[in-house]
Amino acid sequence: MTKRALLAAVLLLVLLPVAVGLGGTILPALSSEPWRELFATPGLARAITLTLFTGIASAVISLGLAHLLLAVYSARLARERLRAAMLPLLATPHLALAIGVALLLAPSGWLLRALSPWLTGFTQPPDWATIQDPWGLSLVLGLVLKETPFLVLALGSALTQVPSERLMLQARTLGYRPFKSWCVAVAPLLQRQIRLPFAAVVAFGLGNVDVAIALGPSNPPTLAILLWQWFTDPDLSRRALAAAGAVMLTGLTALALWALHALAARVRRLWLRHATSGRRHDSTVAATLFANSIGALLLATGLLALIALVLRSLARAWRFPEFLPRSIDMNSWSNALATLTPALEGSVGLALLTAFVALLVSLWAAETLRPLPQWRTRLAALLFVPLIVPQFGFLYGLQVALSALRIEGTWTAMLLTHLLFVLPYVFAFVVAAHTALDARLPIVARSLGASPTATFAKVTLPLLARTSLQALALGFAVSLALLLPSLFAGAGRFITFATEAAATMTSGSLRSAAVYGSAQALLPLLGFAAAALAGALVFRRRAGVPA
Amino acid sequence: MTTLRLRAASLALGGEPLFAPLDLAVASGEVVSIRGESGSGKSSLLAWICGVLPPVFTATGTVQIDADDITTLPTEQRGIGILFQDDLLFPHLSVGGNLGFGLQRGAGALRRDERHALIDAALESVGLAGLAARDPATLSGGQRARVALLRVLLSGPRAVLLDEPFSKLDPRTRAQVRALVFERCRAAGVPTLLVTHDANDVAAAGGPMIELSLP
Repeated sequence: MTKRALLAAVLLLVLLPVAVGLGGTILPALSSEPWRELFATPGLARAITLTLFTGIASAVISLGLAHLLLAVYSARLARERLRAAMLPLLATPHLALAIGVALLLAPSGWLLRALSPWLTGFTQPPDWATIQDPWGLSLVLGLVLKETPFLVLALGSALTQVPSERLMLQARTLGYRPFKSWCVAVAPLLQRQIRLPFAAVVAFGLGNVDVAIALGPSNPPTLAILLWQWFTDPDLSRRALAAAGAVMLTGLTALALWALHALAARVRRLWLRHATSGRRHDSTVAATLFANSIGALLLATGLLALIALVLRSLARAWRFPEFLPRSIDMNSWSNALATLTPALEGSVGLALLTAFVALLVSLWAAETLRPLPQWRTRLAALLFVPLIVPQFGFLYGLQVALSALRIEGTWTAMLLTHLLFVLPYVFAFVVAAHTALDARLPIVARSLGASPTATFAKVTLPLLARTSLQALALGFAVSLALLLPSLFAGAGRFITFATEAAATMTSGSLRSAAVYGSAQALLPLLGFAAAALAGALVFRRRAGVPA
Repeated sequence: MTTLRLRAASLALGGEPLFAPLDLAVASGEVVSIRGESGSGKSSLLAWICGVLPPVFTATGTVQIDADDITTLPTEQRGIGILFQDDLLFPHLSVGGNLGFGLQRGAGALRRDERHALIDAALESVGLAGLAARDPATLSGGQRARVALLRVLLSGPRAVLLDEPFSKLDPRTRAQVRALVFERCRAAGVPTLLVTHDANDVAAAGGPMIELSLP
């Protein structure tokens, strides 16, 4: 069976690096020395608490908000508007958005400048911990800002698999108001489908550097930031310590996922008891008001953060409390151009290549698995593995393996590593559109004499042209956002916007960080805009071609 | 003269046969109707005949066109055209493009202008003259059904399967399209197999009727 062999190859492409990576990370942590050193780290208990708190709180809040938003915007049209509104937040990389939020909310940030000195009386930035607060609240905010739109999208695509509108109508004709109808009739059905995306959100929340580097507390920081410091330490003897820490983070993630899974079962029971109590009254008005305010607040924060980011990259001198910089220029951009050029080549070239390969693999796998729908679901789930295992858990080991193969820092290594993270998104997107196509169309084409290849090329592919364009933009955006994968697989030699933004952020060079962050934020938006434009142009005279 | 023949055809789902083994011959220009309740396996039977039976089913028996056993041929080599209850015109192709797609097998060696002439004449013969450049999405249901019929016939099928092709049309269009489909299939001299649960379809088909029964 060549089909099975090829499918096995795809899985191998994804699962082997994770397995090898995990092994390579565990190996140096097998002796007791690094563990003794790890447990002697000052503030470790606090770092662990912070990690668990920020990771779990941000994931749970994001899931709650996503449910709330979809409950209120449950009508199809409203849902589409909600998704469109969320797109800028979705497209912006974690790191760029976090830098933007830091520039917005810091004591010297844009928000306080807007209120100073006329309202606050400040002529100097106050000594407040509005970001990088010791409790990690700003870190939670930054994560919620990114994960809520992601979960809205994930819930939205899960919705296509349940007859939500008919269920809502049924509940409403039984006397339930819209919000409660959603809670009792639709939300419980989404729990299964949302499991993997939610697990990915939890794992990212617990193990991220991208957001914590800009918004997380510093003394002590989260476990992930400690790992980042140890892994990037020029003193190579810290690698074993870092590996032990990575193993610990992986364990904590597994523990958190297990606990949340157990908790979800209990919440579900309580929820269903409440749902079947027959009580009709609910809080539709309050829920709508709350959802609207929170939605608007998230969106405004995100957009203002992006503006603050771009403004900071252009500002020459920007003293507190001036609302706008006194002069702007492109100096940082032209200064950065020297490094921007390789970053542009690395980031953009790599992102395009990764997106394209991911699209080809996804189209091919979706087509091959057409007669085997249960395998399609399984493959989608297995492809999610690299998103659920903490990045630190396998990226270090993977780097060791890549360097043993003498390919670390090469395009091959970067492509293979980026694919691990891009493929699950692109495949899920492509497969949803592929499944939505009427399965009888290719049958008609075959019965008219077209071979399977011709059928794919002349019928399936054109009908998926718009999907493919959007999938390319999606893959492009995901690849541009990747920080740790670029760092590890690139072995410090492969420069991307993400690696440069993080490096300048840690060295405290805010303006440079803003330049790289802006570039990292604007490119995905450009990508989505280009996909939308091209999508509007292809088949513009054919009303029946799917969007 | 062509004959579509099923010998001891039987489908099973999870080891349970769906209907008693079926023997059947459809002659050129004849329309044979198969009736059965929903779930009786009549659409799956058509899927098997054109070679797209989902792998959850198992099938025994043979499909023949004249002396050729086509049971294991790939769909595109069977020469069996099918009309579904939806017209399933390719939405990314023009009306003429859809017809050209079907024409390729029967008349691959034609010159471009010859193909266009064939397509235009076909459209004209069903009262759709001059619509070749149109987007199929802009046609009415009855018009689309007629284009779908032309597309099948222009592909030069050796047999035609009809899977409740009229059930989604409104009553007035239905009678017209039904009459046209039967008339054209007879005129083309192809064996035609219709599955339906509508007694009016069977009456209009005018050929033998087979009731799919449990084994």
